[in-house]
Amino acid sequence: MTEPDDVDLNRVWTNLAAEVWRRHPGRLERTAARLLRSPGLARALLTTPSLLVPWLVSTVVVFGAGALLRLGPGQPVVWLLAPALAAVGIAYAYGPGVDPAWELSYSMAVSERMILLTRALAVFAVNAVLGLAASAASGAVASLTFGWLLPMTAICGVTLAVAVAARSATVGAAAGVAAWVITVLANQTASGQLTATVTDTETYLPYVAAAACAAVAVAFLTRPQRGLQ
Amino acid sequence: MDDDELIANLAGGDDTALRELFTRHAPWLAARLRAVLSPPEVEDVLQETFLAVWKNARTYRPQGQAGGWLWVIARRQAALLLRRRGPAAGPLVDAAEPGADPVEAALARVDIEAAASALGGPEREVWRLMYVEDRPVAEVAKLTGVPEGTVKSRANRARRLLRTALGGGTR
Amino acid sequence: MNVELTDLTRNFGRHPAVAGVTLTLGPGVHGLLGPNGAGKTSLLRMLATVLPPSSGQLRLLDRDPKSPAARREIRRRLGYLPQNLGYYPAFTVVEFIEYFALLKEMPSARIPKAVATAVERVDLGVKAKARLRTLSGGMLRRVGIAQAIVNDPQLLLLDEPTAGLDPEQRVAFRALLRDLGERATVIVSTHLVEDVGAACSEVALMDAGQIVFRGTPDELTVRGQDHGVGDAPLERGYSAVLAAARS
Repeated sequence: MTEPDDVDLNRVWTNLAAEVWRRHPGRLERTAARLLRSPGLARALLTTPSLLVPWLVSTVVVFGAGALLRLGPGQPVVWLLAPALAAVGIAYAYGPGVDPAWELSYSMAVSERMILLTRALAVFAVNAVLGLAASAASGAVASLTFGWLLPMTAICGVTLAVAVAARSATVGAAAGVAAWVITVLANQTASGQLTATVTDTETYLPYVAAAACAAVAVAFLTRPQRGLQ
Repeated sequence: MDDDELIANLAGGDDTALRELFTRHAPWLAARLRAVLSPPEVEDVLQETFLAVWKNARTYRPQGQAGGWLWVIARRQAALLLRRRGPAAGPLVDAAEPGADPVEAALARVDIEAAASALGGPEREVWRLMYVEDRPVAEVAKLTGVPEGTVKSRANRARRLLRTALGGGTR
Repeated sequence: MNVELTDLTRNFGRHPAVAGVTLTLGPGVHGLLGPNGAGKTSLLRMLATVLPPSSGQLRLLDRDPKSPAARREIRRRLGYLPQNLGYYPAFTVVEFIEYFALLKEMPSARIPKAVATAVERVDLGVKAKARLRTLSGGMLRRVGIAQAIVNDPQLLLLDEPTAGLDPEQRVAFRALLRDLGERATVIVSTHLVEDVGAACSEVALMDAGQIVFRGTPDELTVRGQDHGVGDAPLERGYSAVLAAARS
């Protein structure tokens, strides 16, 4: 039997397909959408490469190793790893270096800048929490438990600024890790202590300054009028 | 791939199987429903039917009766829609007996017409003349040019075939 | 008028990619032809609000994209298919299209139906739940077209949309274009002259950053009547206009 002329089977199929193909966002995404007041931003956040489960699992493993390895009594190496890990995570949260559809993303109503900032903050927060948990679990002294948060902020800022300027996640990550290594070694040379870079209060101001400069650079580099070039 | 295999794949989450099933069966289901429903209602019922198929494909027992199974689901959806619609609009069949459920009567008529279309030529003609047009045996014999005895035996055969077809498909 | 450009320019360093374009476009399918390096992609990028102009005025959908609020409103009603569109290999076809529907801030309730409609319009229904890494080049291009049309845009910009499509798919695509052009402004940038002839009501030809011809495909054909270069009438018109512009 052929269908009646006045019944639109294509429309029926489209409605059916809409139900069958639809994706049902999980609770985390629905909560994020409410908090951020944007379902698009929530989806972009939860598809951040460095927030996906495999990456998070690797991060936990590395932090776990850091909690167990010790350079000396009461000195697990979490403080050494955290800034570097976070920097790499930040670099791989970002757009052009890592997003194949980046040119299209620039034409979206949810701005690239919002996505970048939201992702960067989320990656930073996740790494900070994981690092603190690892530090606390490893029984490090107080200065080593919290002292790396400030350098981590600075290194993440530098990484983000370089990644945005170079439009490359790899370049950003390399710059961030290199900057951290140089910082650690420079402080060790200056004071004779490897952990000086997180325990020496004289380093705090430079870190704050570096973070502030990086923030300004990122704001400038992601200004809307720059767009693609 | 036959319908049973399609439904098995569908139950496993294969949306292309649903698409194929839809392509094969939606046209005749639409035609059958059109007898009692308006075009937008037909579309609604088809959508609900195939959604139900998608969700409940696991309950299908493969017996080569996919068409019958689909019609059962569609019929149920049509009944739901007709009851929701209420007595307001639409030409339902004037109930044969007072107090009979007009929705069931309408759908039963669709079932009967569908079953009747499976009758062979001579039986279908007798059925139409005697039971739809309500003519006496003598008149039917004259119109079809066969003896009254033949008319009666064809009518019996038609009744038997319909009873089997309806008994199998509607419960 | 959905697109109004006044003396629009775009420079990269000292090189003028777009050297003063003035154009007004309403609904319909408009073809943008030109050789490589003519500035078509830069022009399209400015219309897609991904590249700011160096000078001149740009009005899209009756709004000035300089202001962030207006830019956001334009982008909600915009569809864009870049010349090189990367894909997320692990996403399925519907996930990819849905992602950009979300980023275009479509109301969530409307998205499933819009995605299904877009998938069916580009004839990828049987591949709806296939991962992008399993698709051919032509199919990926159709996915790109689908994400561009998912929000039923008022301004649709397509940069080389038929790359990788076979002839049958190109015919289907032209029908889709004509359909879309009934209410929206569709701009198709291509170097495939025959695509333009079949689907576009109007053609602009760009060379060295400027518009050197504007008219119907028939008018372009007329320009090529005494010109030797080209296998088809429209191609002859194309090379005739280019030759004249460069002399």
